[in-house]
Amino acid sequence: MSWMESLIDFVRKYKLLVALLVLGPPLIYLTVYFFAPFLITILYSFGFIGRRGVVTWEFTIKYYQQALRWVYLKVFYNSVVLAAITTVGSILMAYPVAYFIAVKAPKKWKNLLVVSVMVPYWVDFLLRTYALMNIFTMMKMMFTYEAVVIGMIYDYLPFMVLPLYANLEKLDKSLLEASYTLGASPFKTFLKVTLPLSKPGIASGTILVFVPAIGEFIVPSMLGGVSVTTIGTLTWDLFLKFHNWWRGAALSILYIAVVLITLIIYMRKVGELEI
Amino acid sequence: MSMSLRDKLMGLYSAFVYAFLYVPIIIVIIFSFNESRTLGQFTGFSLKWYQVLLEDKVVWVAFYNSLNVAVITTLVSLFLGTLAAYGMVRLDIGGKGAVDSLLYVPIIIPEIAEALSLLLFYKFTGYELGWLTVLLGHIAFDISFVYVVVRARLAGFDRSLEEASLTLGANEVQTFLKVTLPLSMPGIIAAALIAFTLSFDDFIKTAFTTGPGFQTLPLIIWSQSARGGVGPELNALTTVIMAISMTIAYIYAKLTMEKQ
Repeated sequence: MSWMESLIDFVRKYKLLVALLVLGPPLIYLTVYFFAPFLITILYSFGFIGRRGVVTWEFTIKYYQQALRWVYLKVFYNSVVLAAITTVGSILMAYPVAYFIAVKAPKKWKNLLVVSVMVPYWVDFLLRTYALMNIFTMMKMMFTYEAVVIGMIYDYLPFMVLPLYANLEKLDKSLLEASYTLGASPFKTFLKVTLPLSKPGIASGTILVFVPAIGEFIVPSMLGGVSVTTIGTLTWDLFLKFHNWWRGAALSILYIAVVLITLIIYMRKVGELEI
Repeated sequence: MSMSLRDKLMGLYSAFVYAFLYVPIIIVIIFSFNESRTLGQFTGFSLKWYQVLLEDKVVWVAFYNSLNVAVITTLVSLFLGTLAAYGMVRLDIGGKGAVDSLLYVPIIIPEIAEALSLLLFYKFTGYELGWLTVLLGHIAFDISFVYVVVRARLAGFDRSLEEASLTLGANEVQTFLKVTLPLSMPGIIAAALIAFTLSFDDFIKTAFTTGPGFQTLPLIIWSQSARGGVGPELNALTTVIMAISMTIAYIYAKLTMEKQ
């Protein structure tokens, strides 16, 4: 038997072992460098790990009490408000564009229009936020709340356009024609046909924008300076400025809990998340 | 078919939104070629800020570091992510749903939460922060993106081609090498491009997991633009990094669009 035949024989015989050999390496990697770190974060947040990384076995909830103090709750509230403004702002900007690309745009333009939204989608926020700094400096708008809001919408806009477009693209155009034929005005058709059908797209976009926007660090820090504090800037300061890892860990676990709860509610109500 | 006024207005609005997306980027590019430091006033074309970049040793070292991390990240995450995708699509085993969810988690968890957990993990396990810690973190994040892209491609193509190959007498290994791999190549290339971009211009994870002495290009932008410092040198540097990542993102977008 040649080596190849024995290999094939092996593949056929030991299906489970093959599965382990194939799925094992990526899963082991993620376990060590993704999931284990979260476990460590939980341990820190309950005070199991003391200074210099020594395990103390002292369970405490004081870091959560600190993270739930009034000042921090206010930061949490501000972050949620900023994320909500960002979400609404980006829906208002993205919806007509997504609709235009999906339904109205001439066919030869379509690909270019979608690609032009996909390109900034993949570029890190740091670069795109820096790009805004030139304009805001010229307009003397740096370190204002308005600059942060515009910056947030600017950075997150592609995350709203793409899921909306993906949804509207699938919209059955004959439904619109049926509505027109039956005498509905374009406005009424939009309200009664298009909008309800595009709800899953709006929901996907909202998840992709709202959830990360709560913890956004780069935009409020670069454009808001010290004038805007969010969960993101607070986490950054606690870790990299004050080295208060325990409180930072508790704060981060609370944030992740909010994220997971939002996602679970979303999954229950809407179903699949398209990325 | 002529457009109605309503459609024209919508087109105009869309044009405005596209301008909103691209004008800031264009301004950075324009002012990277500005002769003087005056912001908002173009006094003449000059390449001197690029000259400054070329002569800056710190920038070159950071560029080498960014490239080094991005290339290794791409190769390793491509290997691990493709394994995961292949296993999930082709293997006939139970519990796939749970494994699939696990592979999605890194995409869903906000980057800053992942970054700080890595920092705590490294501190706890005694890693010395620097090149290796940055690299390990980038790979962990990229595996999931590679997985999603390659899996979509593997699940998308006609399975009967593989069956035909087997029926015609090719064995499983030959079929994998001659049919499955070539057919999934567009997905693998797309995944490589996206893995590279995500690593090359990453800021938050790098900032949390790097140590003294290991700097990447985004970290230079960050430290120099802190407290509102904009200038032609930074515009030139940003132009260079953006040109690289936007070109790669463009090729990726083209590839995935053609698939549809």
